[in-house]
Amino acid sequence: MISAMNDVAPAELMACLFARNLQDDEIAALGAASQVPMAAVKLAMRTHAPNLSWLCGGSGAVNSQLPLLLESAADYRNIFGAEYRYSMEDAVDLQMRGRVHTAFLGGIQVDKFGNLNMVCVGDYGQPKMRGPGSVGLPFAAAFGRLFIYVQHHNPRVLVEKVDFVSGPGHSAQRDQWVVPGSKGPHMLVTPLAVFDFQTPTREARLVSVHPGVTVQEVLAKTGFKPQLADPVGETRAPSAEVLHILRTEIDRNGVLRRLSRQ
Amino acid sequence: MSTLQESRTVERKSKVKTLDEALSIVKDGMKLSMTTTHYNSVPMAGVRQIIRQRVKNLTLIPTPSTGLAIDLLIAAGCVDTVFASYVGLEFLGLAPNFRRAVEAKRIKVRESDEASLVMGYRAGASGIPFMAMPKYYELTDLPKANPESFRRITDPYTGEPCYAVPALNPDVAVIHVQECDPYGNARQLGGNHMEGIIAKAAKHVIITTEQVRPVEETRAQPTRTTVPGIIVNSVVEVPFGAHPGACPARYSYDRVHLQMYADLGKEGRTDEYIQEYVFGPANHGAYLDKIGASRLMALRTEY
Repeated sequence: MISAMNDVAPAELMACLFARNLQDDEIAALGAASQVPMAAVKLAMRTHAPNLSWLCGGSGAVNSQLPLLLESAADYRNIFGAEYRYSMEDAVDLQMRGRVHTAFLGGIQVDKFGNLNMVCVGDYGQPKMRGPGSVGLPFAAAFGRLFIYVQHHNPRVLVEKVDFVSGPGHSAQRDQWVVPGSKGPHMLVTPLAVFDFQTPTREARLVSVHPGVTVQEVLAKTGFKPQLADPVGETRAPSAEVLHILRTEIDRNGVLRRLSRQ
Repeated sequence: MSTLQESRTVERKSKVKTLDEALSIVKDGMKLSMTTTHYNSVPMAGVRQIIRQRVKNLTLIPTPSTGLAIDLLIAAGCVDTVFASYVGLEFLGLAPNFRRAVEAKRIKVRESDEASLVMGYRAGASGIPFMAMPKYYELTDLPKANPESFRRITDPYTGEPCYAVPALNPDVAVIHVQECDPYGNARQLGGNHMEGIIAKAAKHVIITTEQVRPVEETRAQPTRTTVPGIIVNSVVEVPFGAHPGACPARYSYDRVHLQMYADLGKEGRTDEYIQEYVFGPANHGAYLDKIGASRLMALRTEY
């Protein structure tokens, strides 16, 4: 298959990577400002997972059919072609009980164990920067697995230890407190690289770097010292066919390409 | 015979009021709720009226994903405490006045999350004292940041640890919808932003609506009523009452206006915004005049 890598944008690469890792028959959930995950679930449903269902953030749409990637997952237009409009109460019931298999989450800080912080940078009582708040991140202890994604790869976002735990990652005590079946962070994807947590301590491990990115660059821009896969590979580019589907059926307006330029 | 004639003279009371009449119930120090998910159905006309009334020391208990209304009330000096699950401007970044006010300790935060607000309101709606929550809060920093809300308790049936969050019962809730009849039967035609549960939990409910519609329409399709009038105290007609937010199925958010708000906020100039868009126009009609008919009509077709 011909690789279309020479002109694939980082956000497109991330969407295709997430899509490949979504399975048929699962329920996925995404939150605000989620064009990359939204593209990923739509692409997965189109390519290999027709029984995948997804919750479109604050809009309440289950299985939206809107053929556009909007800047707000809460946008009412996402109801287009959906099968159900869940309420906020429904959303809590579905998530807290552990019915969501895969959730896309991010944060203002992510650490090497996949802990997520949306509350503050610095001490909670004397914050250097106040963030929006924890919202749905505590459900990290109820979701089947987490696909963590960040739009900026730098040492301020990827830190040794988060300043506030909004969403719990891996820890020795995790299993005794979480909803049964909640396995925690599965992968961490950034505009530069892919990490997994397949290490004895469940610390992040650098698995691949995106085309044109070096391991040295990733290490320099990461605030923790990741374990390294042997060898660290190159993130697989989408095939020309998949990229064509992405651009003609899912992201007709080129939102993902514009995201990457920022 | 005579009793029948008397009954003909009895009339059901309309709950329709002006914005000032309805919002005058909001007083210093009250607990205030408003429904919105991000930019959808934000009761902005009500929020601007509260600021014009120069109400102080409010405790805001909003829906889990909110920003614009909270940020504006903070900038206007109306707020003492916020139950914060998410206070931000979504695709426009951080809520600048919330951020500064918390960093400078000008307001207090009751650190919250989506589930604690929804379940707290669920308890408040049912009149029960608290809601039991999963034990997994132990793994987060929420109990440390907000011990007033998150209390570790023991499940009386299994002896297992779990958490509790208190019932939320705001003094006043302001809820914006597309349609409502004079008796308060309201239709939220877009997403469900908890308006039903918040209305049940609140002590006083104000519905602001794009249009007041006749009760005959309610009766023709009662299943479309999302907030029952029996728990509503007043109804206010405010066309484009969510502007610059969106009102689903009516008009989109005003992205240009929101960007201006975000930019001014970042530069510490929200007071200029408040002078121009809140205190400048004497009432909601004057506010709409200021935004302009052509801009407002464009928001209906941008949808």
